Amino acid sequence: MLVACLLAIAIFSVASPHYATPGNAVTVLRNSVELLLIGLGMTLLLAMGGIDVSIGIVMGLAAIAIGRILGADGSPYVALVAGPLVGALLGCVTAAVVVQGRVPAIVGTLGLLGVYRTAVFALLGGQWLSGLPSSLTDLLATTVLGIPVPALVIAVAYLTVWLALRRTPYGLHLLAIGNSEEKARLSGIPVIKVRFLTFVISGVLTGIAATFYVATYRNVEMSIGSTSALDAIAAVILGGTSILGGRCSLLGTVLGVLLLRILQNGLLLIGVPSLWQPVVTGVLIIGVLGFEAVSNRLPLTRFQRARA
Amino acid sequence: MTAPFLVARNIAKRFGALTALADVDLEIRSGEVLALLGDNGAGKSTFIKILAGAHPPSDGELLIEGNAVAFSSPKDAAASGIATIFQELALSENLSIAENVFLGRELKRSIFGIPFLKRAEMRQRVDGLLQELDAHISDPEAPVGSLSGGQRQAVAICRALNLNARLVIMDEPTAALAVAETRKVLALTRRLAGRGCAVVLISHNISEVFEVADRIVVFRRGRKVAERLATETNHEEVVSLITGAHPDVRALEKTN
Ligand SMILES: Nc1ncnc2c1ncn2[C@@H]1O[C@H](COP(=O)(O)OP(=O)(O)OP(=O)(O)O)[C@@H](O)[C@H]1O
Ligand SMILES: [Mg+2]
Repeated sequence: MLVACLLAIAIFSVASPHYATPGNAVTVLRNSVELLLIGLGMTLLLAMGGIDVSIGIVMGLAAIAIGRILGADGSPYVALVAGPLVGALLGCVTAAVVVQGRVPAIVGTLGLLGVYRTAVFALLGGQWLSGLPSSLTDLLATTVLGIPVPALVIAVAYLTVWLALRRTPYGLHLLAIGNSEEKARLSGIPVIKVRFLTFVISGVLTGIAATFYVATYRNVEMSIGSTSALDAIAAVILGGTSILGGRCSLLGTVLGVLLLRILQNGLLLIGVPSLWQPVVTGVLIIGVLGFEAVSNRLPLTRFQRARA
Repeated sequence: MTAPFLVARNIAKRFGALTALADVDLEIRSGEVLALLGDNGAGKSTFIKILAGAHPPSDGELLIEGNAVAFSSPKDAAASGIATIFQELALSENLSIAENVFLGRELKRSIFGIPFLKRAEMRQRVDGLLQELDAHISDPEAPVGSLSGGQRQAVAICRALNLNARLVIMDEPTAALAVAETRKVLALTRRLAGRGCAVVLISHNISEVFEVADRIVVFRRGRKVAERLATETNHEEVVSLITGAHPDVRALEKTN
C-alpha cells in the first residue's frame, strides 16, 4: 500500500511540474479530511459485514443543517454540535431500517439513498447554500500545539476506534459478526446492539466530516457527497478491509484514502477532467475485488492476507 | 433419585409449515449422561437449540430446577448454566482460540466506565483449559481458521468448560474426530457427569453411546419415540427404535 502511494506520487511528479510541491501536498491532505472520517466508519461497517451506500448524502444533510444554522447567524458552537447530532440521528434511521427492519444493508441503504437525495433537493430548493459566515471556519482553522484541528480530530477518532477494536469486547463482537452473524448470535453476542451502535458511530463520524466540509468550503451544493460512498468503499477495500467482513485495517484505510486522493489529484493535474474521477474509483474497486476473488482461489491467500 | 435439573414439557417447534418437533417431554438430570439418538432430520439439533436459547419453542415450556424459564437468546441460556457445543461449532474462524473461548462473556476491567479486555488473564485461563483437555494446541493466539477439525472441536469444548456449566450439551462432538480424540471426548463426558454436571450427547455412533450414556432417548420425525436406561436395552433394540422397525414405534406411529 505504502509502496503504491509512493509509486503514484513518483509517477505524477514526473508527469506534472505542479505535482511535487508543498502547496499541492497540502491540497491532497486537505481533500482527504472528510473521506478519512467517512472511511473510518465505512471500515467498521464493512468489517461487520455491513455497508452504507447512502453515507455521502448523510454528510450532505448534516452539512445543510450546519449551513442553515450558520446562515441564520447562529453560534458556531451550535453548528459544531449539529453535525455529529444529525449524523447520529440519521445513523439511527439507517440502523432502524437495516438492523431492526432486517433489510439487507446494501438494499436498505440504497433505498435510503433515494430518500435522502430527494430530501437534499427539497431542503435546498435547487439553490446552493453559499457565502456562509466564517465563524465556524475561524473556529476550526486554528492549531492546537502546532497541529491543525482537523488532523487532531482525525488522529483522536482513529485512536479511539483502534482502541475500541483491539482492546474492548466491542471489537471482538464486530469482527465475529462480520465472520458470521448466526455464529455470533449462537456465541451469545448481542448482535443487534453491536450492529445498531456501529451504524450510529458511522453516522457521527460522517457528521464530523460534514462540519469540516462546511468550515472549509463555506457553501453546500446540490451534489454534495454524491461520490463519497463510492470513494469510501474504494479506499477501505484498497486498504485491505474485507468486503465480506471479518477483517479490517485502520492504517490500510488511511493509506487507501491517501492513495485515492493522490490519484485523483494527479490525474487532474495531468489534464484528465474531474468528470472521470468516479471512473477511476470504480475501476479501482473492481480491480481490488477481482484481485481478491482470484487470490482467494490460490494457495497463497494467507501469505497475501498477512501482507495486506 | 434427585429432582431433574431441566424439564422440557410438550415442546414443539414449527418452521413455517414444517413441524420439526412435536410434543417432546424430557427430563435431564444432574450427574447423568443422556444420549439423544435419531435419524438425520429427526429434530435432535432443533431440540437442543431450544434448550440453548437459539430458537424459541413454538409451544411447550422449559423448567430449570422447577422454575419456568424463557430464553430469548443463547446468552440467557448460558446465564442459566447451559453450555452448548453446536453441531456447526459456532466458532469465529477469524478470531483467535483465546478470543473464541471467551467470546460473548469476555473478562474485562472497567476504566472510566469503558470495558477493556483482560487479554493476558483470558490467555492464561485458556492455556490451562487446553492443557486439561490435552488438546495439543500450543498457541492460544492462533486463529481458529487455521486449526484442524479436531482442534476446533477442542476449542468448542473449552468454551463449554469455561462456562462452568451445570448442563453441557454436545451435538455430534466426535463426528470429526480421530480415534484418540474421540476417546478423550468420551472420557470427558463421563468426567463432567462425575462432577455432577448434566450432559446431553447427540451421536450417530451407537457403540459410543452405550459406552458413556446412562439413559438413551430416541427421536423420530420430530417426536420422542422411546426412552430407555442404557442397562436395560441393547444395540439391536436401539437400532430398531431409530429406524422405526420396533413394534413400540409402529404402534405409536399408527395412533398419530
Ligand atoms: N432453521 C430452520 N429452518 C427451517 N427448517 C429447519 C431449520 N432447522 C432445522 N430445520 C428442519 O427441521 C428438521 C429437523 O432438523 P434437525 O437439524 O433438528 O435434525 P437432526 O436430528 O439434528 O439431524 P442430523 O442428524 O442430520 O443432524 C429438518 O427437516 C430440518 O430441515
Ligand atoms: Mg443435527
